Formats: sequence, structure tokens, C-alpha cells
Amino acid sequence: MLGVQSITRRLTMMTAAGALAAAVTVGSGTLPAAAEVPESSDPIVLALLEWTGQHVTTYMAGQALERMGYTVEYKTAGSYPSGTATADGDLTATLEVWDNNMGEFWPKLIEEGKVDTLGSVGLDGGEGFVYPKYVEEMCPGLPAWDAFVKCSEVFATAETMPNGRFVEYPADWGARATELIKGEGLAYDAVPAGSEGALVAELKSAAEKKQPLVMMFWAPHFILAHVPVGWVDIPNELRDKYSLQKPQMLKFAWPGMKDKWPAAYKFLQAFQIDTDTQQVLMDLVDNQGQDAREVTAKWLDEHPDVWKPWVEQAMM
Amino acid sequence: MTLANNTLDAAARRGGLNPALAPWLALAALAAAAFLLREQAAWLVRFPAELVVPLNEWISAVTWWFAEEAKSVFRAITWLLEWPMAWLQGFLHWLPWPAFMIGATAIALAAGGWRLAVFTLVALVYMLVSGYWKPSMNTLALVGVSVPLSLSLGFLLGIWAFKSRRAERAIMPTLDLMQTIPTFAYLIPILLLFGIGPVVGLIASAIYAAPPMVRNTLLGLQRVPSDIVESGRMSGSTRRQLLWWVQVPAALPTLMIGVNQTIMAALSMVIIAAVVGSFEDIGWELLTTLRKADFGRSLLAGVCIVLIAMVFDRASRGFALRTGLAPRRKGTFLERHRGLAVTLALMAAAIGLAHVFDSLHAYPNAWRVDLSQPLNAAVSFINTTFPATLEWIKNHILFYFLLPLRSGFELIVKPSTWGFEMSPTAAAVYVVAAGAAVAAAWRFLGWRMGVAATIVAVVYYVGLVNVPWPVFMAMVGIVAWQVAGRRVALFALGVMAAMLLTGVWTEVMLSIYLCGAAVVIAALIGCPIGIWAARNDRVSAVVNPIVDTLQTMPQFVYLIPVIMFFQVGDLPALLAIISYAVTPAIRYTEHGIRGVRPDTIEAARSMGCTERQILWQVQLPLALPEIMLGINQTIMFGLAMLTVSALVGTKELGQLVYRALTSADPGQGAIAGFSIAFIAIVTDRIVQAWSARKKAALGIG
Repeated sequence: MLGVQSITRRLTMMTAAGALAAAVTVGSGTLPAAAEVPESSDPIVLALLEWTGQHVTTYMAGQALERMGYTVEYKTAGSYPSGTATADGDLTATLEVWDNNMGEFWPKLIEEGKVDTLGSVGLDGGEGFVYPKYVEEMCPGLPAWDAFVKCSEVFATAETMPNGRFVEYPADWGARATELIKGEGLAYDAVPAGSEGALVAELKSAAEKKQPLVMMFWAPHFILAHVPVGWVDIPNELRDKYSLQKPQMLKFAWPGMKDKWPAAYKFLQAFQIDTDTQQVLMDLVDNQGQDAREVTAKWLDEHPDVWKPWVEQAMM
Repeated sequence: MTLANNTLDAAARRGGLNPALAPWLALAALAAAAFLLREQAAWLVRFPAELVVPLNEWISAVTWWFAEEAKSVFRAITWLLEWPMAWLQGFLHWLPWPAFMIGATAIALAAGGWRLAVFTLVALVYMLVSGYWKPSMNTLALVGVSVPLSLSLGFLLGIWAFKSRRAERAIMPTLDLMQTIPTFAYLIPILLLFGIGPVVGLIASAIYAAPPMVRNTLLGLQRVPSDIVESGRMSGSTRRQLLWWVQVPAALPTLMIGVNQTIMAALSMVIIAAVVGSFEDIGWELLTTLRKADFGRSLLAGVCIVLIAMVFDRASRGFALRTGLAPRRKGTFLERHRGLAVTLALMAAAIGLAHVFDSLHAYPNAWRVDLSQPLNAAVSFINTTFPATLEWIKNHILFYFLLPLRSGFELIVKPSTWGFEMSPTAAAVYVVAAGAAVAAAWRFLGWRMGVAATIVAVVYYVGLVNVPWPVFMAMVGIVAWQVAGRRVALFALGVMAAMLLTGVWTEVMLSIYLCGAAVVIAALIGCPIGIWAARNDRVSAVVNPIVDTLQTMPQFVYLIPVIMFFQVGDLPALLAIISYAVTPAIRYTEHGIRGVRPDTIEAARSMGCTERQILWQVQLPLALPEIMLGINQTIMFGLAMLTVSALVGTKELGQLVYRALTSADPGQGAIAGFSIAFIAIVTDRIVQAWSARKKAALGIG
């Protein structure tokens, strides 16, 4: 895990620098003649993974590719199947893979060179123990780590008594919080949630009833625009020990892509989305029921200054 | 077997020790020994990990190798199927919605008369107005390609099984497995071989939905009366002519039942298959809304599936009733097909109009009615208004029913739950009370109930997951042997040994615990409702549509409200399983009681029985075999729901299957999937054997 992270971090810095250089050197403007694009009329297939943020990222990149003249298709996939499919070329690229949720599968593909790493998506993500804001009144001292350790009884339910109840990620996402709780001997019982929907439902339900809740969660996420939360200050040495570092969100492509669609490949390397943009668009989709593709299309219309330079860079 | 048992009963009546009791006494001795030794010999309860055979790794290695070698062939199939799928999807999207409505309503009219036509029209208007037109069309495109595939596959296999006994012997057990392996487990090898995308879901559903067609084809052909076949032979038809011109037409009504069941199965699998990649169909909508815990939208999308299923169900049944009945009309082609001509003309007009008015082509977003907000508000209202009640319900079910069953009174009775410690005194009180209950059951209900009560009392004390595996295996073995005979008993012992050796025993016990608890509650809810519906037509008219809805509602929909109300844990999983598995208990009970012959009831009435006596002493005993078959179906539904309930965070086999799917681990998926299938098959054999014997003893069926 760590090895992969340091490699990808370096890649991120390189691509970010490249994008910056491109933005500086290319002046305002007109797109270069698109005679050579698309290099192939076959559809570029992008993976839709399991969360809205990723859909926003993917549609944004995909629609920009379409505006460059490519044909783009979308396919939904679980995060592991998307790995094999990207290696096989069934998917041309998978954008926004979280390195804390890659399992053993993705790192193996990266190491064996079966997928190309296109660097970071540019999101500034976070991951840790989240609680609804009102819990600070029940357990004064939060978000301090010591307060969380001492307050376990606040979170106790009849089922977990005398321990606190801690809602953990679904079992198939890995159980790092459970390892931390056991390793540090905290008075909490970790209950795996089963799915993202179960985590969201827990948070929604607790917030409605103003009941205490603490759970493993990540940002950016649309529900955080809905329920005000706090994050427990997990000491850095514990974050290191149980791999709870800041997650990196990465872009991967089928290795054949750089020969078949070189300009699209370069575009996806340059493509970035920042956390605020994604969170605003996610909120439009998830809380206001708008269509993800309409939302991203509108964003592309309104922000050519952001994405046109990537196109120009890709065409060079 | 029956004869043997009658002799046994006779022996018991004479007062000697019942020989059938002997194995139970041996089991009691074994259990007592295991109980005393459990501290010293922990391996009796937890099978040692170092003895587990890494079968999952071997299966994975072989599957991956095969997938790699055969990939190009399977990918070619995927590629081929993309064409009809894209074509159908393109057509359905091109067709303006009024034209589709006209066509579908006309078909419904032909199949089921004006009532079905009105129902179809209302269903389509719902899909349009709720904003699910496009996803519904995509789902129809998937089903539209997968069902014909499934039907041809099933039909051909059915004929093959009919023609060759050896084929039948190979096909029938495979069908049993195919119908009991959980849906998620199917998807793993399919994912590896066929890749991802909507077509893969289509293939999964085509395979999953074929077994009912195979069964009904075989059944239909076998049931063709021999005189019909004879007369065909006497007219000098060749074997091929005999099959296609005599046997298949004569078997048509049964074949149509197969068509009906295949459509229903395909529809439910198309939804589940969204997990491996579908796009903008109803399954995708459901997964998306589940992810956001948006109950309102998931229910609205689920209703689309319910409506589609109901229309298909009624229409295919309607066609099944009409096959072979309609006389050929005379006249010119146009006169014979006036309805068709009118329909096509209306559709053409609608297509023409859609070119003028854009809103006829794409239903404007602004005209949508979004009912999800009030639905979500209703969930929030219950959640915020009755938090104490919900908490009370949750704790009572957990402390007094679920947790003791899982982990035993020994562990669960604590001051924080029951208000006192499980002291030796408390244990002694339990032993005395349980002993009294067992004695009462033995005295008034017979030795079988006495044995059952003993088992329940012991399991509740130590907890199902702490029952030593040799004791559990012996118990299942004895039940299987006494009820269904030696072959089933040996089969049960064999598959249990396999579960033990592959290291999934704890998950197996947790599955039995969760599913068993759900089945008990589902039966307690479902049977009384079924009885009520059987005795009152008005109740029946209300209950039946609800049962239809519960059964066709995609399982994902149940998950959100149960978590909102009861938080992640065993209880929401239990409730989700109950809401899906209660339907057969209701249906079969009603059917069984209504099936009691009226002259029997008349006879009882003329003997002066009260209504209550008729129910308890005539109808219920006579309907019991049928009711047991309903409970059997409830068990099957419950096991099927286990994998879906993994999404609310269970720890049993279903969770293993789900994890295997998300991590593309065919070995783990196969072991957990087959374990669920084997639990289902063993249970099914035992219950079927019991029901058949009971029917024979009652002289019915």
C-alpha cells in the first residue's frame, strides 16, 4: 500500500506541474485544429463506480472528451471488477480510484504494468472517524482523541454495553478502524455496515433523532452537505500505524489507450477536479435530484478557462 | 419407510421403548459429553483453522486460468449479444411514448381482456409521470433479449432431458443447484468470463431464468397423455413429427407456465445484475438510491418493476389460457386482424404526431411528479416520532429472541440486558422451567415434539454458534434419516463435512440462525394471514395484491427503511428477510385451506362441528402438508435473501458471497454459494419427504 502511495504521489506532483506549465504557456483561446482527433472512432469507455462524486468526475472528463470529438461510453462496475476490465481494455479508463479502497487487486495490476497510472484526480480527500456535530454536547472535548477514547459509554447501545458502538466500513472495504480499536484496546465494538447506503442511513437516522453516533467515513461526500459533522482528531502515529492516511484519488487507463487515442490519453493525464467543485456538483445531483450529466455539461459550459488548457495541452 | 414408522409407533403405543428414540438418546449422550468437554476440547466448537482445506484458493486458481484461456470465446458471445440489445434499446427509445402505450395496451387487451389493458395503461402512465420511462425501457430491452434466450435454452434442455434419461439425470440436480445458488454467487464467474456491462447482466439473467423453463418443458412432455402419443404414432408420424406436431402442442399449457416463471425470474435477476454493471435501467436506479439511502426514490423505482412484473405475469398467463382455444376466424387477412391493423394505424399516427409535438417524444421533465419527498418524510416522521418505541421493539426482539438463539442465554443474560446475571441459581431455574416445558410437550404432543422442545431449550442455553459441530451434524443426520431416508441423511452429512473442511462452519451456523429465526416469524405472521384470507374473500382480495407486490418488489428496496429504523445489525437483516420470505407462507396456507374438499367440510358440519372445530380439526390438519410446502418455500426465499441482506452488514454466508463478488474471488464465492444451495437442498428434501408422507397418511394428494 505504502509503496503504491509514494509512487502515485510523485506522479501526482509531476502531472500537476505539467498541467500548470501547460496552462501558463498556452495563451487564451482557440482550440488547435482537431484534424487528427479522434484518432479512432471506437468509443472510449469510462467506468462509473459506486458513488456520485466519481460519476461527476467521470462525466466531466467524458463530456470534455466528447467535445474534443471522441465517442464516449460509460459502464458501471464495482471497484475490483473495474480493475480487471481496465487491464483488459473493456474499460478504457477508470477515474477516481481511492487508494485506501483498492484492496490487493489494483496494486498488483499497477505493479505488473497492466494498467497505466495517470496521476491524481486532484481531490483533497479525508477519511476518519466522523460524528454528527451535536454529539460534541454529549461528549465535551470532542474532537480531541482523548475525549473520543473516554466517551465510549456515550456511544453504547444495549447491544454493545458497556462498550461504545462504532459503525465500521462494509466488510469488503477492509477493516482498518476495527484493527485500530482492537490494537489500541479501545472500549468500542466495531459493527460493519454492509454498504455505503447503510452508512448514510445510519448518519441520517441518528441526525434525525439526535442520537449519538460515531463511524468510519470519508470526504468529500454529499451527505456531509446535509448533516453537519465533526472529525475525531486521530493522532498521526495511529493514522500511520493503521494506514488511515489521507487517501489519494487516482486515474488509471488501459495501457493500449496511449497508442489508440494519444490525445485523449494526454487529456486524461492533465484532467483535474477540485474538492469544492465536486462537492457542489454532487449536492446538485444527490440533494436536488438533478441529472449528473446535465450538471457537468453546464459546468463545462461555464468554465472553459479551466478545462480548455488541458485540451490544448493534449493536442500538442 | 412409512411402514417401518407405523411399526415403530405401534411399538411405542405398546409401552416399550420406541426404537426411533434410540438415536436421539445417543445424541443426548454425545451432546452431554461434548458440553462437559467443551472447555478442554475447543475444537469441538470451533473447527481448527489448520485443518481447513484451502479449496477456495484452488477453485480460484482454476477459474482464473480457465477465464484467461477461454476469454476470447466468451467475449465474442458478449459482443454478439450487444447487437440485439443495442437494437432493441434504440427502438424503444426511438418509439414515442404514446405509440408504446398504444402497442402495449393492445397486446394486454388481446392477452387478458379490458381489465388487463386498463391496468397496463395505468402502469405505463405511472412510469412516465414518475420519470422512470427511460430506465423502464432499458430494463425492458434487457428482459426482451434475455427472456427469448432463456426460453430457447430452457426448451432445448427440457427436450433433451425428455429424450434421454441420462441427460435428465444430469440436468435435474444441476437445476436444483441453479435455483438455490444465490444470485450474487452467479455473477462472479459470469463477470470473469463475460466482462462487465449491461450485456453481462443480460447473460446472467438468461442463465438464471432458464431452469423453470427446463422443468416445465420436461413436465409438460411427460404428462402428454399416452393415447394422444399413440394416435400420433398410428398416423405414421416420424419421431421428429411426433415431437413437434403432437407432443409439444399438447404440452403447450405447461410450457406457458414455464414461460411465465422464466419471465419473473429474469426480471428479478436483471435487477440484481445491476451490481456487475448496467446503465440507466431500473436496477441501476435502485442501486444508486440505495447508496444514497433515498427510500422514496427507491420505492418509486421498485414499483416500476412490480408493475412490469404484474403485467407480464397476467399477460403470459392470459396467453397460456388462450393457447389452442381460439377458433380461426374467417375472412380476408385485414378482416381477421382488424385489431392489429387498428393498433398499427394508431401507433403510426402517434409517431407522426410526435414529430410535430416534442413533448410526445420525450416527456418533459417539468411534467414529472416526484412523490419521493413525501415518502421520505413519512420515514423520517416515524423515525423521529417513535424513537423510544422503535428502540423498545429492537431491544426486546434482540434480547429475548435473536441474541439468545445466536449466542445463548449463557452469554446474553447480563444486568444490562435482562437485568440480572446468569448465576447458577438462574441457570437452575432455567433448567427446571425448560424441563417442565419439555415434559409437557412430550406428554401432550408426542415424543417428536418432546425431542424438538429439548433441542430448542438446549440451543437457547448455549447458542446456535456454540453448538459443537459433531452434535449439530449428528442431529441433522438423524432428522434427515428418520424423515427422508438414508440417502438424504448421507447427502446431508457429506455436505456438512464439506462446509466444515472448507472453513465456513461459523458462517453456516450464522446463516441458519438468521434464516431460521426469520422463517419462524414469517410463518407466525404468514400462516394466520393465509387462514384469514382463505376464510374471507374480501380479505383475500386485499391480501393477494400485497403479496404480489412484496414478492416482485426488488429486494434492495426493503433495506433502507429497516436500517433507518433499527440501525445496522442482525435485526434489520432479519426484518428484510421476513418481508421477502413471508409471501409463500401466506399463499400456500390460503391455497391449502381453500383446497380442502367442500364435502369433507360439509360432513364435519353435519356432524355438528363448530366453525372453530372445523378450522382446527378438519381444515388445518388436512392443509398441513400444503402449508409445510409453503414454509419450505419461505425457507428458500429466506436463503435467497441472505445475500442481499449482506448489504446491511450481516456476518453469514451471504456476506461471504457478497465480498467474493466485490473482490472477484470465485473460490470464496463458490464455497459460500454452494453452502447456501446445499442448506436449501437438504431442507427441501426433508420437508418434501415429510409433506409427501403426511399426504399419503391423510389419503390426499
